[in-house]
Amino acid sequence: MNSTVVSYFSQSNEFQNVTNWLTQILGFNASSLVAFIIFAVFSLIIVGAMATIGGLGTYAERKISADLQARIGPNRVGPFGILQFLADGVKMILKEDIVTTNADRFTFNLAPVLCLVGVFATLAVVPYSSGFMLADLNVGIFYLVGMASLVGVGVFLGGYASNSKWSMLGGMRGASQIISYEIPATLSIIAIVLLAGGLSMKTLIDGQGGAPQDWYIFHNPFAFMGFFVYFISALAETNRAPFDLPEAESELVSGYHTEYTGMKFGLFALAEYIEVFVVCGVAVALFLGGYKVPFDLGSGQILVEKLGLDGMLAQNIGQFLELGSFFTKTLLLYYVVIWVRWTLPRLRVDQLMTLCWKYLTPIALVNLIGCAVWMYAFNGKSIFALIFHAAGSAGGH
Amino acid sequence: MFANTLFLASACLTIGGAIAVVYSKNLMHACIYLLASLFGVAGLYTCIGADFLAATQLVVYAGGVVILMLFAIMLTGGTSNKVNRFGLEKIPAMGNKKTFFIASFAAVVSAMIIVKILIPVLKQNPSSALSPNEPTVERLGTLLATDHILAFEISSVLLLGALVGAAVISRPRKEIHD
Repeated sequence: MNSTVVSYFSQSNEFQNVTNWLTQILGFNASSLVAFIIFAVFSLIIVGAMATIGGLGTYAERKISADLQARIGPNRVGPFGILQFLADGVKMILKEDIVTTNADRFTFNLAPVLCLVGVFATLAVVPYSSGFMLADLNVGIFYLVGMASLVGVGVFLGGYASNSKWSMLGGMRGASQIISYEIPATLSIIAIVLLAGGLSMKTLIDGQGGAPQDWYIFHNPFAFMGFFVYFISALAETNRAPFDLPEAESELVSGYHTEYTGMKFGLFALAEYIEVFVVCGVAVALFLGGYKVPFDLGSGQILVEKLGLDGMLAQNIGQFLELGSFFTKTLLLYYVVIWVRWTLPRLRVDQLMTLCWKYLTPIALVNLIGCAVWMYAFNGKSIFALIFHAAGSAGGH
Repeated sequence: MFANTLFLASACLTIGGAIAVVYSKNLMHACIYLLASLFGVAGLYTCIGADFLAATQLVVYAGGVVILMLFAIMLTGGTSNKVNRFGLEKIPAMGNKKTFFIASFAAVVSAMIIVKILIPVLKQNPSSALSPNEPTVERLGTLLATDHILAFEISSVLLLGALVGAAVISRPRKEIHD
């Protein structure tokens, strides 16, 4: 069975008890009902947690940028100003909702929702831990790429519907940037799919181990380059600096969301920060070992053997370790994204397109072919496995 | 139960979106309704267990084609002006001989294709249902790289043609001096 939240909980005794009890009361087989309720509850939890992470992302952005520029940053609301995002949220909701006179109302209202829908839909396949994944689709990563492209439609429509030159330019830049950078990002993903031999997130992560030498980033030199190609493309796809041309403050006021006020603007911002989390999560899942914990602690087997814990309890502890592993790596990458934003200057439009089409896409193609050749030549072994093997055979003589 | 609900929702989305595309006066809105309709088609693919096809539908149509159509509509300015500068409607109501001929030809061709697809389906025993949730990626990949390699290669030639065309169009034009 797939490794989803529902299948994880269906292993426990309580699930069986509740299901039997409900079956007796309701008079029909209630297992699908219970499964649906678990699924709904966890969807709500994930959406809530991700919205909080998006909100905290704005706080982190300001605090880290303040750090890098030797300022203090927000420090009034709550301890260290950590509740600043709640205050911002209240401000956004209470603001007057202005729609410009000549705006296309239907499209204008739809655009931020499309952005947010595209990002939230990708959350369904993000692998938080081996048992905490909403859906383990057979085409997980492919589905994620497809859904994320909705954000491009949202950005474009937002720019178009505002009926303002700044918005229009920002929206056009955003859409062209997103569809251009999808190519190197997807090619790098395909290279990893080649190594793992499957499109589902479970397959992609199971091919890696907990320790760094088992990660796909260190599998071979091409995958190592592929990680950086993917990361740069992901930065560009989420419209983050140094690729934040769609919302270039110095030229376009605020780009595609110039005319948006209140919570509609908030939805755009939230979508951006959650999307950054999602692309960092994908980078972690594909290249940095995902939720894997060293020494196979995640499955809880070793806890049962050494400490004599109950099977389910050990498994739960393992799940929390895996969650910690995934979130630590992802948030570290998130930090790098913010760091990059406040360190590097912005590119020009032509430089952006040159980087994508003349450098990243050919490099990604070479990586793809290189990974295929590596898999064929070395029978799918990683470079560390080859080194250890060579060292072992040399020592044996 | 769940599969039926999913099917009904996808079918309603597909048909409703398609009808809205036809009846919408604004080209931009029509394009958005088309997006909804394409999502419905992806849902229909999911209903019959074609997961890879559904994801491809999302990637190709939602991500690529719709954005390109939006670009084309925006750059040609086809949204607001339904009449040209002489006050005449740009799109004639009834069409002319050429459009009628092409439309009937297209209708005949698509009807033949549909009949060709439907006959074996109708002849078959309807009880031979697909097993649900069987991954199709591997089989699709194998088929594409073995039996249908020619079609695969031909489609790549098509893409190459599109690339060359884009390069030719976007190349700076040389002034011809005589």
